[in-house]
Amino acid sequence: METAALVEVRSLFKRYSPSTPYAVDAVSFEIHAGELFSLLGPNGAGKTTAISVISTLLEPTSGTVSVDGHDVQRDPMAVRRVIGVAPQELALYDDLTAQENLRFWGEMRGLHGAELAQEIAEKLALMELTDRAKDRVGTYSGGMKRRLNLAVGLLGRPKLLMLDEPTVAIDPQSRRYILDWVKKLREQGVTILYTTHYMEEAQELSDRIGIIDHGKLIALGTLDELTQLVGEHETLRLQLLQEEGGANLAAALQSIDGVIKASATDGEVLVNVTSAEATLAAVIGAATGLGLGVRTIDIREPNLETVFLHLTGRALRD
Amino acid sequence: MRKLWVLSLKEVLLTVRDVGALVMMLVTPLAITLVMAAAFGTGGTDAPLESIPVLLLNQDAGTMGQALVDIFYSDALGDLVTPELVTDEAAARTRVDEDDVAALVIIPADFSARVFPLGALAQQMAGVDVTRITSDTVLTQEQQLQLGMAFFQSQDLTKTDPVVVEIYASPDWRISSAVVKSIVSQGLAMMNTQIAGTTNILTRLATAQSQADAPSGDFAQMAGVFQMDWGSDGAQTAELPIKLHVTSSTGRRFSWLSYYASSLAVTFLMFAVTTGGRTLLAERRQGTLPRLLITPTPALAILLGKMGGVILTGVLQLCVLWGATSLIGAYWGAPLSVLLAIPVIVLCTSSLGALISAWARSPGQAGAIGAAITLIGSAFGGGFVLRWSLPLWVQYASFVTPAGWGIEILGRLQAGQALDRVLPWLGGALALTAVYYGIALVGFRRQFN
Repeated sequence: METAALVEVRSLFKRYSPSTPYAVDAVSFEIHAGELFSLLGPNGAGKTTAISVISTLLEPTSGTVSVDGHDVQRDPMAVRRVIGVAPQELALYDDLTAQENLRFWGEMRGLHGAELAQEIAEKLALMELTDRAKDRVGTYSGGMKRRLNLAVGLLGRPKLLMLDEPTVAIDPQSRRYILDWVKKLREQGVTILYTTHYMEEAQELSDRIGIIDHGKLIALGTLDELTQLVGEHETLRLQLLQEEGGANLAAALQSIDGVIKASATDGEVLVNVTSAEATLAAVIGAATGLGLGVRTIDIREPNLETVFLHLTGRALRD
Repeated sequence: MRKLWVLSLKEVLLTVRDVGALVMMLVTPLAITLVMAAAFGTGGTDAPLESIPVLLLNQDAGTMGQALVDIFYSDALGDLVTPELVTDEAAARTRVDEDDVAALVIIPADFSARVFPLGALAQQMAGVDVTRITSDTVLTQEQQLQLGMAFFQSQDLTKTDPVVVEIYASPDWRISSAVVKSIVSQGLAMMNTQIAGTTNILTRLATAQSQADAPSGDFAQMAGVFQMDWGSDGAQTAELPIKLHVTSSTGRRFSWLSYYASSLAVTFLMFAVTTGGRTLLAERRQGTLPRLLITPTPALAILLGKMGGVILTGVLQLCVLWGATSLIGAYWGAPLSVLLAIPVIVLCTSSLGALISAWARSPGQAGAIGAAITLIGSAFGGGFVLRWSLPLWVQYASFVTPAGWGIEILGRLQAGQALDRVLPWLGGALALTAVYYGIALVGFRRQFN
């Protein structure tokens, strides 16, 4: 049985001025209690704008958004009481210690006294920052700051935790730490809205995924549901010896039988094909014909990258 | 309320941990105060003034007191001062208290006798007013003999304490009373020269009479030889037993150290507060303001908390500067009055910071605008030169910035004015505060939306 929707987004439009295109364009989705929902899309797709509207920072141009039954426009304070946000930017005070940052943000969430002290201790331990609790945040590494940024979002045990690109610009070790931590939260039943432009993260973490591009939600479902959109197709990934020429190859491949879509980026060409075995020789021949050398070729099963390519004709990193 | 306090304390904590800010807020104004006080410590000031009303109370029956009075009535000072002779000391002091006149000069009854005892004896024994002798004066042998005797008798007089000429000045007529003081000082210096010259001649006359081979000739001839005219450069000066005592209805005297201590404190308060206002824009840029806005805290509370922190920091800054400069001898005014004035001045200054940060587009722009307004406002308000030496239109123009109000208020308190006389100025500062905060709120609404 499906749980009740904690977040309901209906026909959400948002643009920053009448002369600019919609940053969020007719987006609708629900997030159920205990669910980890990812918004996946390239930079500038509208993920942060959507999260800003849901968190009451921005007012929608039209449409409705409710969190835990509270409309973000009519009752923003009620919404703010049930949400926690870890923004993409490290919103911390470098001249305060980790403990002072947590105390300040806890007070702003309405916590104080013993309850706040307990939460601070818990969050510091959770993020393995207890030993550095009394050091100024300005002395922290990027990964430590990112962890503290997440800890602040968790203060007050919010019903909905929104994590906006939490693994941007950090080292692989810290990234792994954060992903494992998000999984633990999910196991604990915390409802999470997670935005990312990393396909692997969305695949690894999410119960359901919404793919967003140019402000529009172009696909929504579980990983299996999304990959079924591509059908039984496979993806050839060619790494070229040359940096240039990928776009010409992608264009040339469109005319080969069995090629559904092709796109190029950074010396790499992704080719969505009905059968890798049947089209491989023709693909290599096209590259050779254009004077391009192929360093490696691998064949991939359908994944979110394939889905994005299938839906937009572009690679997710474009 | 608790959140306001937490927000304010956070601001204070961030400021005190910023070494650069502390240097700008505390060290720099202290250092410049010391330099300015050292540079202007003994200097006076001049102002484009005319017809300064001054009362003269001459209680002296001798010629020296009258000579001092005559200086005020001389043609050279005709445009500068409007003297008035009075006889009722209490009534005259009241007129100063009521700011009716710039100052009252009180010449004591024994002024001539104590300043120039030889002159008094010469008048008494020879019937000669030595201060009026010129090379054309003809003295009899008897008068010359008596003058010589007067000289020797004057040598036996015991030196007494300096005679005090009091200038009772109005704190509201700072420059004017400084001008009066300058006139009296110059008059006394001139008398000093006259007395020294006269004493010189009488010494020679007495010596001539006591020696058989002394050159003959009368006193007037010798006066001609030695060019003994009042104010002659040829006369030697000696220390004059006169003390100039400047008092005011409030009992305070002007001090450059005190003036710069408070005026520079106000100037650097403006620097600090415009920086403080800038933090709102900086918080927006670093993402902490958006994060604050999605906590269950009303936007107005966030704004008030931010400004509360700026005000708290400003009050601490002024209090520290007040304490530190007091330790080196500066006087800011009656403590209770200063304690009341400081929050008002800080509040007024914070309104400018709020105004700038509400309408500037970036922290850099806010910083540049804040620095420009601080420097111009401070120059107009008297942060760098004595406020009351500036043209009146400049003084009035300065009231569009907190510097004008702050320096005016603290200047009045320094002069010893009672709180009730400073209240209208505090009210003016609060009115400006209301106007600036009103305009700032419009800007903040635009920003927060």
